[in-house]
Amino acid sequence: MTKMNKEFYNTILTQTISPCGNYLITGDLYGNLSIFNLLKVLNPETNLTKEELIPKTKITVKADYQINSLVNTPGHLLVGVYGEIYAYTWKSIKGSNRNLHASWSIPIPDGQEELSKAEVNSLIFDKESGILYAACVLNGHGDYIHSIAKNGNNDLLSGGEDGVVNIWDLGSNRVVEKIEPYLNSEMQRTNLGKWIGAVDCNEDYILCGGGPRLSLFHYRFLTHSTVFPIDDGGIHVAHLNDDKVYVGGRCKLFYQASLNGNIISEIPTSGASTYSMVKQEEPFRVMCLAGSSSKIDISTNFIYKDQQLSLY
Amino acid sequence: MVKDTTNTVKKKRKTANADAESEHVDLYKKVCEFEEKEAQNRNADADTTLFFNICQQIQDLLEQVRELKQTPGDEHLSERIACLTEIVVKVCLIKKLNRIDKLAHVTDREVLNTEKQKCDSIKLTYQNLVYELHHLVTETNKCLSFKSEDEDIELVPFEDFMQDAPASVTEKFKDFNPNNPEDEHALRLARLEWELTQRVNLAEECKALEEKKKKVVEEITERKEKLNDLLPLLNMVIKATKPLQEHLGMSSDLTRKEHKLANLLPDPLYVLYANVVAYKSVFETNLNVVILGDKDEAIQFNEAEEVSHSSNINDDDSEPESDLPEVEEIVEVKKRRHRKSVQQVDPLEEKKKKLLEVHPLSVELSVTENDGPTLNIIFKYYTKIKIITVNSNVDISSKITANTAREILSGHNILSELIANDTGLESPNPSTVYQLKKLGIGSYQKLIPDVGYAYSWAQSVCGIDFLASKKCCDKLSQQNVENILGIIKKRLNTRTHLAKQLQQLEQNILPAIPEDVEIPRNAVSSLIKWASTTYMEFCLSDFTKNLVDENIVGPSDLFYFAKISRGKAELHAFIVLKNTYPIPPPIFALSLNYKNKYNSTNCDDIRDLERTLNVDWDFGERSSSWLLSAQLTHLCSYLDVYLESTYPKEFQPNTKFIRSISGRNKKKPFKFRNIGTGIFTQY
Repeated sequence: MTKMNKEFYNTILTQTISPCGNYLITGDLYGNLSIFNLLKVLNPETNLTKEELIPKTKITVKADYQINSLVNTPGHLLVGVYGEIYAYTWKSIKGSNRNLHASWSIPIPDGQEELSKAEVNSLIFDKESGILYAACVLNGHGDYIHSIAKNGNNDLLSGGEDGVVNIWDLGSNRVVEKIEPYLNSEMQRTNLGKWIGAVDCNEDYILCGGGPRLSLFHYRFLTHSTVFPIDDGGIHVAHLNDDKVYVGGRCKLFYQASLNGNIISEIPTSGASTYSMVKQEEPFRVMCLAGSSSKIDISTNFIYKDQQLSLY
Repeated sequence: MVKDTTNTVKKKRKTANADAESEHVDLYKKVCEFEEKEAQNRNADADTTLFFNICQQIQDLLEQVRELKQTPGDEHLSERIACLTEIVVKVCLIKKLNRIDKLAHVTDREVLNTEKQKCDSIKLTYQNLVYELHHLVTETNKCLSFKSEDEDIELVPFEDFMQDAPASVTEKFKDFNPNNPEDEHALRLARLEWELTQRVNLAEECKALEEKKKKVVEEITERKEKLNDLLPLLNMVIKATKPLQEHLGMSSDLTRKEHKLANLLPDPLYVLYANVVAYKSVFETNLNVVILGDKDEAIQFNEAEEVSHSSNINDDDSEPESDLPEVEEIVEVKKRRHRKSVQQVDPLEEKKKKLLEVHPLSVELSVTENDGPTLNIIFKYYTKIKIITVNSNVDISSKITANTAREILSGHNILSELIANDTGLESPNPSTVYQLKKLGIGSYQKLIPDVGYAYSWAQSVCGIDFLASKKCCDKLSQQNVENILGIIKKRLNTRTHLAKQLQQLEQNILPAIPEDVEIPRNAVSSLIKWASTTYMEFCLSDFTKNLVDENIVGPSDLFYFAKISRGKAELHAFIVLKNTYPIPPPIFALSLNYKNKYNSTNCDDIRDLERTLNVDWDFGERSSSWLLSAQLTHLCSYLDVYLESTYPKEFQPNTKFIRSISGRNKKKPFKFRNIGTGIFTQY
């Protein structure tokens, strides 16, 4: 009974899909990695039983320390926890051994004491250079960083709790530009705070949101072009992809919108908030939404919910 | 002719004279011998004719004489004389003949006699032979009809004999030929002998056993006598101890009476009673068990039961058949319903009454918590539906006055879910469903107000196992009584603890918590309302849907409503207590009213707050006296943390935390660490 209650209140903060595209890995509030066999769920041979909708395996990374971020590298799955990054080989994750240990780990060189270590809230791996970027506390921010995004080979964007989006030049490792959406009257929502929960970009645009409304900026001029009319209590997920915007956060819906602000679809989510969205086109089309719920909503057409996975 | 005869006679005489002359002495003898010889040699037939001739001649002569006499004159005298002489001679002749005849007769007779004697002796020998023959015949018959006694003896079969008998005896018969009578006889003899030895052995054994038996019987009678002697002695002892008992204030009489009453209990209740008494005598002093009900009524009931049971044996077999007419009856009843609707109720009602027949005796179990409430549990046995039902009440001490506290002690739920899912709302006997259906009673639940709760544990402490065929199993009861009584005691204990906490909560006081429990102790938020509520209201609330959907809470749980406030902020909370409190811990469902309504479905922080309240408690049974209070105390502090970190301008900081938020989910520091005066962190 107690165990059941515990999972009932679970929250999934991050997800990733394995390089082969068949497995979904989620990281949750209690420090567990859960591995789902997406291929099986989406191409069922017979009617799915309840057992097939729960994780194939569970790995405890660090008990009761929430997993904030996950990222793929060709050989490893990197897990960002509290003051530390752990790495698991894909081979061991796909195996059925439950008592798995990380193959290596990096403590964040922060020097802080035990109770206030930095969380690894966002991870980016650059395949070409083989460099891992971890979002913790950067000198250019007044508070911790929620999200980072990389543009081309030179620029890195970071959005933090202090409400600032910084653009870093990777050559010099300095902040070259910054945006402060909370100062904009169209975007600000004083009751929600100034924090930036999510940042994404492509060559032309920067997408960011959090306490302030989700908005699109021109990369070159750093002027805003669209403020999205979304009714939310804070943005946690924002993705810019193929001229479409995918956004979720503290609301019961996950939105897909065009760059000019037209809502294309709304997917109702299981939890009160969405903290993570992953999607892939190959080998099969799938989008997974997760948040403050032990359920994961799966959509194959990105328009409505097809299936629901559960942590228990 | 006459001349001739006379001549011969003369001649004879002459010869005889001549002899007599020669032998004077033995003349007579000689004559006799002669005559005897003559007589022997003479022919009798010739003599007879001679005799008759002579007789004729005499007659003729007499005739002549008569004629001569008749002729007058004497001239014929001489002639007459001559005739007379002739006659005399003739008479002599006859005489002689007579003599000879007589002699001949004598000799003949002698011959005859000898012949006769010969004949007799032959006959005698013959008769002897006949007799001998007869005797022999009977003897042979006797021999033929002889039967040996051994034929009647039942012998050990030949095969067994060959197997069992010693080799020395059986060796000869290894190649036994049944056609040879001698062999067969020998075999028979051997077998008989073997039989004899065996029988002798057996007889000896029998004798020995019989002697043993005799001894045992003697022993038994001896002991019986001793026991018989013991009874009056015991009675005397009882009588003698009475004054002492009275002096000591013991009520052995009462318990003895009750034990007598126990014999009248139905089997399941008896098993319960016996086991509880046994349990009490070993473990408990604050446990009391009594039998309720009237003795005479019980005797009457049991007798009636026995009578109906013996007639029921036949009924059992024909039950499916007897069911059919009953169904028909119901159909008829339905048809008739149009005419008389008033009468219809009675037969069903009566059947219902019959089905819900209860044994007049019941067992009351009283469990007392140390200086706390007393829980009285009354077990009744329904003889027709064959289940034990339970009614309970609690004597609550006058110290506990709060409504919610009294409720938690007195409700049926104090006994509910002693074992997981055992709410007592359904009959544990699978057949009850059908029996009730037949009477048109939907479910057992409707009967509960009249009948009582049918907990599974109640059946098991009474030794009833519906799956096992055995009617009433003492062993099952034994195993369960200790277990269940332990659970009941524990339940009563936790309920008392709860009641004490509720008592204070209803007065809006957070009960004191032991020093060694780590809790934040300086909350600003405070409890302003505590009341009991229902499952219905819980469900109707808009922030409890998830808990209901997930079946985390159910109608058998206990529901409370609390309000905690700080300034303008007001936190509404439903608190769900499981019957098995403190495991799992009480469940909180929260809704914060401040500027807006926040709850777990629209606010992650409230959801996280709920999570920390509901999940992180692992203190086990021992926490029952303070767990609810500790949770509420935490809740007050967490509310402070939430308000102070979210609205730092509106609420004066009172709690200490390192970071107000952390992580992508902007986690609030809902973890209390007992460092210094207390500090709140995320991890």
